[in-house]
Amino acid sequence: MAMGLPRLVATAFTLTLVSIFLPLPFSLAGEITSIESVPDLQRLMYVAVDGYPCVRLLNLSGEIGCSNPGLSKVVAPIIKLKDVKDLVQPHTVLVTPDEMEDFFTRHVPLVSNDLSFASKIGGVLIESGSSFQQKLKGLSPDNMFPQAEFSPYGNVEYKWNPTASSIMWKAYNFPVYLLSESGMSAVHEFLSKKERKHKTYTSDVAEFSMVMETTKAGTHNSEACLQEGTCLPLGGYSVWSSLPPINVSSSNNRKPIVLTVASMDSASFFRDKSFGADSPISGLVALLGAVDALSRVEGFSNLKKQLVFLVLTGETWGYLGSRRFLHELDLHSDAVAGLSDTLIETVLEIGSVGKGLSGGINTFFAHKTRVSSATNKTLDALKVAQDSFASKNIKILSADKTNPGIPPSSLMAFMKKNPQTSAVVLEDFDTKFANKFYHSHLDDLSNVNSSSVVAAASVVARTLYILASDNKDTSSSALGSIQVNASFVEELLACLLSCEPGLSCNLVKDYISPTNTCPGNYAGVMSGEPSSNPYLGSVSDVSRFLWNFLAEKTSVQKGNTTSVCSKGSCSRTDQVCIKAESNKEGTCVVSTTRYVPAYSTRLKYADGAWTILPQNTSDSMGMVDPVWTESNWNTIGLQVYTVQHSAYDNAVLVAGITVTTLAYFGIMVAKSFITKALKQD
Amino acid sequence: MTVAAGIGYALLALGPSLSLFVSVISRKPFLILTLLSSTLVWLVSLIVLSGLWRPFLPLKANVWWPYALLVLSSVCFQESLRFLFWKLYMRLEDVLDSFADRISRPRLFLTDKLQIALAGGLGHGVAHAVFFCLSLLTPAFGPATFYVDRCSKVPFFLVSAIIALAFVTIHTFSMVIAFEGYAKGNKVDQVIVPVIHLSAGMLTLVNFASEGCVIGVPLLYLVASLTLLHCGKMVWQRLIESRNQSGPTLR
Repeated sequence: MAMGLPRLVATAFTLTLVSIFLPLPFSLAGEITSIESVPDLQRLMYVAVDGYPCVRLLNLSGEIGCSNPGLSKVVAPIIKLKDVKDLVQPHTVLVTPDEMEDFFTRHVPLVSNDLSFASKIGGVLIESGSSFQQKLKGLSPDNMFPQAEFSPYGNVEYKWNPTASSIMWKAYNFPVYLLSESGMSAVHEFLSKKERKHKTYTSDVAEFSMVMETTKAGTHNSEACLQEGTCLPLGGYSVWSSLPPINVSSSNNRKPIVLTVASMDSASFFRDKSFGADSPISGLVALLGAVDALSRVEGFSNLKKQLVFLVLTGETWGYLGSRRFLHELDLHSDAVAGLSDTLIETVLEIGSVGKGLSGGINTFFAHKTRVSSATNKTLDALKVAQDSFASKNIKILSADKTNPGIPPSSLMAFMKKNPQTSAVVLEDFDTKFANKFYHSHLDDLSNVNSSSVVAAASVVARTLYILASDNKDTSSSALGSIQVNASFVEELLACLLSCEPGLSCNLVKDYISPTNTCPGNYAGVMSGEPSSNPYLGSVSDVSRFLWNFLAEKTSVQKGNTTSVCSKGSCSRTDQVCIKAESNKEGTCVVSTTRYVPAYSTRLKYADGAWTILPQNTSDSMGMVDPVWTESNWNTIGLQVYTVQHSAYDNAVLVAGITVTTLAYFGIMVAKSFITKALKQD
Repeated sequence: MTVAAGIGYALLALGPSLSLFVSVISRKPFLILTLLSSTLVWLVSLIVLSGLWRPFLPLKANVWWPYALLVLSSVCFQESLRFLFWKLYMRLEDVLDSFADRISRPRLFLTDKLQIALAGGLGHGVAHAVFFCLSLLTPAFGPATFYVDRCSKVPFFLVSAIIALAFVTIHTFSMVIAFEGYAKGNKVDQVIVPVIHLSAGMLTLVNFASEGCVIGVPLLYLVASLTLLHCGKMVWQRLIESRNQSGPTLR
């Protein structure tokens, strides 16, 4: 016995020494992510992935968009589309940008026929970025003739948008997520880990939390969901402003109005990634550039016509902005006090103007609604403005006569309301869209050319001056003084079409305190009661920015006294309080700038709920209005993690139970030995 | 990894302790008390150690010597505490024996003393398992699993449970060896316990190397089996001795 002990001690000592020196030759390679707490461990286990979801939208006849099929999260192993072969259970398909259009147009509609791919799609992840091929080919998820049901002419088969795939108007019974740059690198890193260790009893899964309330409540169209309160109607706040301010109190001596229109909302397959750079934000920026240039011109009150600028929202979803604006004009409501539809002499809409530059010349096409003296005046004014530029790098051409009519634009709604409307829409295309990414998440800043926008702004500013002065012999010096600030236009493009700097750029922060940095040019939902004096928390960042910006630019300084307003109201009725957000104390300026709610003319808000009004034959556009609503949801998110096969889990449980029972028997045996040893005589 | 796996890991780490509790400790209320107070004492010791080392955290992740220092200081602290623990137990033993004399009951037998030491050791083991394994086990009940880069063959929770089991064994039986060693003044027994504890602690540093756990964990189990064997031999010797001693008086 005594001999065994020193041996034991010696062994223990050797082990200690060995254990001290053993780590030395091993290199402590690689970085360890230090885990300092259980929440840290959970964060490493469940990797949150950043991205943009596709959500559920509803109309009177059904649904579009994407959602979790049931009430619970979708958990499905990730597989790349090219590796998909004979799937047994639902998987999360990882699709590259090139494969996206093909996937949705070919693979998914086969859902009902192709059983092998049918219910095997648990969820879809789309990688971000676009390839060179895609840039050449183009991808538009919209229709060939967007919003054809609102066209004032009969030819609804005309292909305005040739790269169309119509995928955004279909309903999908699985979640679809567009990965952002960071999300994509997180997913790829996660998947590459598995390849390195080739573990056969684990799988990498994606967990989608995209349960839509309308799916939960079983309300599958707008009427049902509005009744249940599981959805909200799409809409927002349009902004109009007049230059110079209109004296609302005196209803006589009203000048005829030249109305300039642009839209501020776009859409795409993914709710939060729809910059809409060329369509329609380039037009909006051109309008703002023109307003900025015209604000520096003296003597507007002496001109013969009144200029009114109108920026509409909700145009993508059934021309909500234009229809509601025209309806408010009929009602002579507070929102449009000072305007009247009989006073509107001519309308100029600025459509997509970001892709007019080609070979150093900016070419734009003027599409007119009908032949009339007013449209001829506009076309002449455009020509004079075009010629007034010394550099001669702007060309305005009339649209091709073989076009069936005006392209999809707010003017379609104006025409449907009143076929006698004399209007012209300025676009960077003639017979079909130049924008290959119409209503796509790829219609971003790289898809527009700032000099094209500057050119459009310049020609519109001068055209409006000519129209307002109603005098074709405007001196070239007067016209020449109207200059659009190119750096302002570029800054504004970066503010509205990118996330860096996005809405936190100085230009925007000068007027408002934005709630988001990334501009989401999706119209969004109408929260709360629509009114001409809305609660500013329900008004989107871009609408508030436009209101403040236009109010400042169209204001006149009556004397040099500016008063401050802290509660958003000014003492004089012709004054509005601007910049009241960022500075807390705003400035009172004399301006006529108003919000106009934009929502379907088929909807009524009463007692905290929305109801759908019955069809009214006098509202022809209301008859074809789909009445778009967006489902409510609790949370939307995506995470990826590794899951062990249940066989492995059960094996661990069995091992634990085995160890416990073996230990029990071992102890019993030892106990019996000891009792025997004690009892032995 | 689901509830099944979570329970599995918990059983791996603490199942044998549970078996020991059910078969030995739960028979005598005094042993349950000893177990509970021992667990508490050793948990507090671990908390004190983490408090002492808190200002030096986080340790640099790619050198091993701060961790060696951490293990060394912790082992020294715990071994000194073990001696104090034994001193406290001796006091208690005197109290129990004098009480037994007063009420004319037999004093503590050898088996009683061994069982008390076992309960004390089990407390130490359970404290270790709770502190180092169970506290991290909550995420194991969720759907996801986790693999560490440097030990990529098995899930993190499995390695943690296996190492905890080894330490439970080591601590449980070292306490028995230590108590007997201090009581009998046996220098070998007194020295071997700190040595085993230190070597086990140092062996965990082997896990730092890439795939080091493949070597480290089996070696750790080697130490655990050595402890078990030594304790078994020692207990057997004592029992034979005491039987020979008490034998003649019974006749």
